[in-house]
Amino acid sequence: MTLRHPGVRLSGLLLAAALAACASPARERVDGWSAVGAGETVVVGRIELVPPLAKGEQKMQVINSGSFENIVFLMADENNRTLKGEPTSADFGGRIEATLEQTFFVRSSDRPFYILGGMVWLEIGSGSNKAYFPGGLRVALKPGDKAVYIGTVRYQRDEFWNFKKVSIVDDYDRANSEYRKKFGTRIPLRKALVTPVK
Amino acid sequence: MTGRIGFTLGLFALALSAGCASSGHERNINDPTNSLVFGYIDMDDAPTSIAYASIQQVAPPTQEPYWSLAVRKGLFYTAYLPPGSYQLSKFGGSAFFTGEHVYGFPRQGNQTALRIEKPGIYFLGSYKYRDVKSGMFEQGKFSIDAINKPTEADLLRRILDEGSGIKDSAWRDRIQARLAKLKR
Repeated sequence: MTLRHPGVRLSGLLLAAALAACASPARERVDGWSAVGAGETVVVGRIELVPPLAKGEQKMQVINSGSFENIVFLMADENNRTLKGEPTSADFGGRIEATLEQTFFVRSSDRPFYILGGMVWLEIGSGSNKAYFPGGLRVALKPGDKAVYIGTVRYQRDEFWNFKKVSIVDDYDRANSEYRKKFGTRIPLRKALVTPVK
Repeated sequence: MTGRIGFTLGLFALALSAGCASSGHERNINDPTNSLVFGYIDMDDAPTSIAYASIQQVAPPTQEPYWSLAVRKGLFYTAYLPPGSYQLSKFGGSAFFTGEHVYGFPRQGNQTALRIEKPGIYFLGSYKYRDVKSGMFEQGKFSIDAINKPTEADLLRRILDEGSGIKDSAWRDRIQARLAKLKR
């Protein structure tokens, strides 16, 4: 729970600004091969929230905070670890910024990594409020991979943001169709669904 | 951490509290679908006492999710909530030396989460404010610890005695029935 008084009222905004500016960059979204270098992989996936964000559930009242709307920030690391306490800006380095209910295409090194958790902003402005998603998922990239489909991660929650179930859904056909439109048919999209870390 | 007074932000807080008023929630106190929701917070260790409070309706979705609560010496309540899901959203208050403060509750992991399926009387609990250490550039933090007193019955008696319009409403009988049940 947060306490705001005149001295620190803006800290929620600073937190958002830090994520936008100070944290190491996100895995970049890509739309074609021109932005993908040697030794890099296009990671294709999707995050779904059930029920989805309701209208007005995110309150973004600050200029530019609209760019955080409907976005889940997936914290990713090549080393699996459990996040302890509030994540710091360092935890967001190499994140995936996934628009909920849409297929994302990001470039990554071709090494496996872990999704440590996720975060959505629920309020930026008169207060700051976030919800965290559970992690513990392994993305099994292999050296030499050019394009990998990791599946749809479907998070089921209640109205209080308690997560009830996380399921991995294979929606390869739809993702592959979107992939082909953007990247062509020369390089096939390999399927390697994320797996829960044991 | 608590020594600065910001006039502009004070105005902001005033606007916030006005925004949390129950405009648009003009329900009759005797509406049979109303629930009475109440609780208590001991703010002795907080920078200020509380002067206003709001509870957020998180389901069903609504354009006006914030319901203001009546606040009296730590007791907070409303007798107007329709069925839905709610959790405490904000407390606020000011003091001469510490200025205006707003105490925000999280949307996730909020220990005051309440799902009302049937109209009735719902006790959110009694709590004590506790400061939580935070970094110099971090937002101030606090937690609330559940306490045993005042009890549900203590607070219902206070609502009956001090609550505006409660004694002359249908709540009088309902509260007395609840108190009788708690005595057993």
